[in-house]
Amino acid sequence: MRVIKFLIYGVPLILVAVFVAAFWNATQLSTNKKNELTIGSIGEPTKINPILSTDSAASQVESLVFEGLLKYSADLELEPNLAREFQLSQTTTFFFPTNESASAAREILMTLSARWAEWTLRNAVVIDRELRLDFLQPGLETSNVIADLISIDPMSPVVQVRVEVGDKARELLATFRAAHPEFNIVREWFDYDAVFEISALGDSAPISEALTAFLAAKKVEKSNVQVLDELQFLAEPVVRFDLREGVLWQDGVEFTSKDVAFTFWALTDASIGSPRKPDFDLIQALETPTPYEVVVTYRKPFSPALSSWTMSIIPAHILEGKPISWWDEFFHRSPVGLGPFKFAEWKTNEFIRLERNPTYYDGAPWLDAVVIRTLPDPIANRLAFETRQVDYWGVDPWAVKAFEDDERFDVFNAPAKQYNWVGWNLRMPMFQDLRVRQAFAHAVNVPEMIKYVLYGNGVQSTGIFPPMYWFANNDIVPIPYDPDRARALLDEAGWKLGPDGIRVKDGERMSFKLITNQGNETRKDIATLVQDNLKRIGVDVQVEIYEWAVFISRFVMKQEFESLVLAWTTPPDYDAFQVWHSSQANADQLNLVGYNNPQVDRLIEQLRQEYDRDKIIEMAGKIQLIIYEDQPLLFLYIPDSTSVIWKDSFRIRRPTPDGWKDTPVEMTKAGWTYYLQWFYRPEYADEMPPAEVAVP
Amino acid sequence: MIHFIIRRLLITLVLVFFISLVSFFIITLTPGSPYPWGELDPKISQTVKDNYRKQFHLDEPIWMQYYLNMKGLFSGDLRSIKDGRPVLERIGERLPATLALNVCAIVISLSFGLLIGVYSARNAGRWPDVTLSVISFAMLALPGFWISYLVIIGITDWFGTPMLGTSTYGTIFPNAASQMLDYAWHLALPASLLALGGIAAQSRYIRASMIETLGEDYIRTARAKGLDEETVSYKHALRNSIRPLITGIGGLLPALIGGSIIIESIFAYPGIGRLGYQAVLERDYSTLVALNFITAALVLLGNLLADILYAAVDPRVRLE
Repeated sequence: MRVIKFLIYGVPLILVAVFVAAFWNATQLSTNKKNELTIGSIGEPTKINPILSTDSAASQVESLVFEGLLKYSADLELEPNLAREFQLSQTTTFFFPTNESASAAREILMTLSARWAEWTLRNAVVIDRELRLDFLQPGLETSNVIADLISIDPMSPVVQVRVEVGDKARELLATFRAAHPEFNIVREWFDYDAVFEISALGDSAPISEALTAFLAAKKVEKSNVQVLDELQFLAEPVVRFDLREGVLWQDGVEFTSKDVAFTFWALTDASIGSPRKPDFDLIQALETPTPYEVVVTYRKPFSPALSSWTMSIIPAHILEGKPISWWDEFFHRSPVGLGPFKFAEWKTNEFIRLERNPTYYDGAPWLDAVVIRTLPDPIANRLAFETRQVDYWGVDPWAVKAFEDDERFDVFNAPAKQYNWVGWNLRMPMFQDLRVRQAFAHAVNVPEMIKYVLYGNGVQSTGIFPPMYWFANNDIVPIPYDPDRARALLDEAGWKLGPDGIRVKDGERMSFKLITNQGNETRKDIATLVQDNLKRIGVDVQVEIYEWAVFISRFVMKQEFESLVLAWTTPPDYDAFQVWHSSQANADQLNLVGYNNPQVDRLIEQLRQEYDRDKIIEMAGKIQLIIYEDQPLLFLYIPDSTSVIWKDSFRIRRPTPDGWKDTPVEMTKAGWTYYLQWFYRPEYADEMPPAEVAVP
Repeated sequence: MIHFIIRRLLITLVLVFFISLVSFFIITLTPGSPYPWGELDPKISQTVKDNYRKQFHLDEPIWMQYYLNMKGLFSGDLRSIKDGRPVLERIGERLPATLALNVCAIVISLSFGLLIGVYSARNAGRWPDVTLSVISFAMLALPGFWISYLVIIGITDWFGTPMLGTSTYGTIFPNAASQMLDYAWHLALPASLLALGGIAAQSRYIRASMIETLGEDYIRTARAKGLDEETVSYKHALRNSIRPLITGIGGLLPALIGGSIIIESIFAYPGIGRLGYQAVLERDYSTLVALNFITAALVLLGNLLADILYAAVDPRVRLE
């Protein structure tokens, strides 16, 4: 009976005692913080490897552990990093029928040597039937000019063909080359082993016919031969990186060009399957003449490709020769990089701990460690911040005002790199009339939407590039809210008010569905406001909301919708091809609304080949203006992203050309954590190593 | 008895197979894709997508995918689509924390359930019983996440005490005892909230069963022969009233490793519930297959165990 009584009364009593003691202990814990920064993260990284992961939780860790050849500055411009400097150049190759005609063309060029400087032409050599020109600046313009000047003899055109075969691409192309020596194939390139692309001399018809016949004879199913282009010459830009010497991996081994070559191999090899491969598909070859030199040759001028070299470099000495399962088991959970913090510990679903890298090339950080905690619940995130368990919190729009008014906090507010929009499916006749889209833009009260949906924390969007980027066009005036103008435009377009208050044209009511995804309250609010605003000008909108996966796979990617609410996030990249070029408007492509403007198509194509900064700004600005005027989307707003920290919990001491500069945490275009390497807790200021030690 | 157990085990095997089959089809036929990148990422080319599908056999017919998953599960080399690590390892590393949380929660719910149940039964109909009954029903009716939010917001506002995860972060602990108590605190709070529903349910079972027993003839006999009320309650009545509690232990087997998604998420506690939830959101088919299989097997084994225990405790029950 004693045992029973103990079980009934004793056990609960002990439990209560333990609970009280534990609670008391928790309230007594010191609030002195270690010299660390703790971050709360909703998700947990799947794997820490910059060439494989795509989740934001992983990239947060990777940005601290790894480094790239280039990086973005505080103003979001490309600048050298592991590469001490980089130089652009271009090789243009003309193909002539004979060696003599190539030499003759070179002679003509030599007589024009006065213009070489203007063309940035450095050298011209004849090799066999090829005339190779070496330019200081990539681009097509000067090569075209020269082509006109030297074409006394007809040059051989270059035909580029893409062949999809499914697999065994290398083997098939080798067999084809052996079987058809008459085609002069000067370049080849493989997309895994599934596709090959070749550049051959001559006309397109015979070679594509020969390829088709060859594949049929080899019984290759589902093959596809596509002539990509017929060119007058090959223009191949070259980027030369000079690497810093003496940079060490976090395990002490020196970083060399071998690591860059290995990273490139890993990005493009099928056994690794990197999702970032498409960024590197335009590379014809990557060479490493010395341990501190990397020379990258591109297949054609494509200036946005330069930004892909912000890609983090992975260590060859650790990963080379190991199968991907070894990577998964050993590297992806204890990575070694070149960044300011090195990986120390990962407790699944709890935290990832990164510690100061004392050998960081740009100077060891002040903080001892950065801890990234996994806190899946949004409210838990806020509570963790308020109990000082994490050092900052990404504030929801509704709470921003309260934190700004509170003396205890520092608030950092900046426009997010995204814009929200309502898209009209331009495949529908109703939306094809520009006046209708303009009317909708006048009818929707965006300032009011920002005021009520975002509590004022956002700005009206003026097109496809957000204002913080150097190539954005910030002269565009947003379309004002003007319902009367909207009504007039609809009347003008032939949509007259019907008896039930809804507009009608040729018997068709102005009525359509507006869809968005579940789980995003902001988008739901937007849809409701748009529905209400449009109703006031006689348009009937039905809002429907679907689960994300259904929304994407059934409607968005099949492009079977009437209108939708969505947002684009915008990387610091001016290439608008995938989202706005008319060739990208098929199912599973990203020109979702089916925008088609030949002028914009041309500008987008030219912009991709342009390397001159001023011209890029001019062209990107033009693209942004034309698309904004065309209103394929109702551009809504760019929300603010707001972070809050406890007042003065960190300061920054960073080197500048004028010496060390000590400031409170400051906002940059690249966010308030841009100088994380130089953050320190004021209470540890005395213990900080003397500044001279860390002079980078 | 042996006969019975063997027959039940065989039936269990067949059942587990069907459950895994049906759940696999439900999982894979749900819209959405297990791509690690967003469906709308403009930078992913078709060849990369095709290559990925090939790597994880997503291009195979669905029955073949089922076969490959099952084969991988039994040979132990089934890997998560998400991070490429063996699924059993992913589940295994969460086991200690999950067991700690669930054992704690079960001990709390059983001990407090017993205490409240016995107390209520002995005071049946009087005001303490009525009060406890109302509270019990309230605990059963109120959603756990709502109570949890109230509790953590309350503690944050009034005491500013950290309580998320498994320990306090960034603090310098004065001694080892303080650190141990900190662990205990981070375990006790979610376990208590997880146990609330259990306490309410257990106390109702025991109360009902005990009131019934106290009305039996042999209790009257015991009282008649002059035994004191304590002996009657604890020695005679209680023994016969805890049968529902013992047989309920079979049902605890799956609860031991099954997690609570909501409590684990709110408290950022690294348990199996969150693993499963995350796997559903990410369409990580291989992890889901393994979790479903293990859970189904445990539920069925738990049922079997309950039957056997029932026979062991109550000699009137014969297993044939």
